[in-house]
Amino acid sequence: MQRLPLTYIRPGMKTFEEVVDPSGRVLCGKGVVITEDMLKRFQELGVSYVTVEGTPVVLPWEKTLEEELKELEARFEGIEEENLLQIKELIKELLFEKFKFSRPE
Amino acid sequence: MIDSSEKRKEVKKKLRKLEGLPTLPPIVQKLNLLIEDERVSLHQIADLIEKDQVITTKVLRLANSAFYGFPRKVSTVSQAMMLLGMNVLKILIMTSSIFDIIHKEDVGLWEHSIGVAACAKIIAEKTEIKDPQEIATAGLLHDLGRVIEMVSFREESKEIIALISQGEEPLQAERKILGLDHAEIGAFLMRQWNLPERLIEAVSAHHQLDLSKKFKKESACLHLSDVLVHARGYGRTLYDKVPPLDPSVFKILGLSLPEIKEIIFSLEPKLYELKFFTEELKKELS
Repeated sequence: MQRLPLTYIRPGMKTFEEVVDPSGRVLCGKGVVITEDMLKRFQELGVSYVTVEGTPVVLPWEKTLEEELKELEARFEGIEEENLLQIKELIKELLFEKFKFSRPE
Repeated sequence: MIDSSEKRKEVKKKLRKLEGLPTLPPIVQKLNLLIEDERVSLHQIADLIEKDQVITTKVLRLANSAFYGFPRKVSTVSQAMMLLGMNVLKILIMTSSIFDIIHKEDVGLWEHSIGVAACAKIIAEKTEIKDPQEIATAGLLHDLGRVIEMVSFREESKEIIALISQGEEPLQAERKILGLDHAEIGAFLMRQWNLPERLIEAVSAHHQLDLSKKFKKESACLHLSDVLVHARGYGRTLYDKVPPLDPSVFKILGLSLPEIKEIIFSLEPKLYELKFFTEELKKELS
């Protein structure tokens, strides 16, 4: 799944979860193929993000888990302070969690 | 050898005159007069701001970006005034040109700044610091001194970077070349602009918590945000490695490790959204 700003959403993409407006009202269920008309409606009702199935858009700034971990090590190179090392472990946890869910289906 | 106390005087003199920096937009002076006048309604203030379309657009864009995290779109100045408060609105207007500069000069620093703003907001809310929107705004401005170095002290800025690449600690490198570091420069300018003391102190102490006297929680919030955003690797600053963390932040803010984890996990989706925000600005500028 991929969460994208409305401007990145194209007709034909399939919703991964419900689409809700800013007040939490459900506009569309999950597993629905998005049409041109639905996009217009989302825009009118102030939807800013939609989560779709798969990873239809390549975001050039997104890194792989390997890259993330390598850069994390580099940023913490030589650091021995205990609190910072704990923060490093938390970020590792975050990364593993993040990549567990964003693997292409 | 450069005499750093002489240099320090020279730098401060230049800062007082703001050479090479865009001056405050003319609207700021009018705005200050209106705010002081008790007979003037908020509505009238909003009217004045809206007359300046460029500033209105910039302010609304900032108000809508993920670091403030409002669920609904902020589409009018009155709404922004209600949601952000007069203080924040004023700061955004005063500093709107600075944000343009950061974005054009150094996207990495801009990303770092908005990341710190988002993180500071999360921490301020969690630890019940008054006016989290103001703290987020201090986050946005915390490296203001770096922007000034880049724009008004170009030559010195190169020397600083050269020293750092030879292994000098960033704050020390700035002090050696300019006689003062970016936290001091930022706070100096914020004081000249009469911004709230709470925010000035937090900016001045964001690398050295012991400089904070009256606003320890605010300062600790910015310090921790700065370290966490560096640790996550969002944006770029003079620090290639994660900067030192003063362990007293945990006590000052009353935060435990599981709570730090919550902060890191709630920051991630904000950073994800902010990347789109930066990209959008980049497209507009190119």
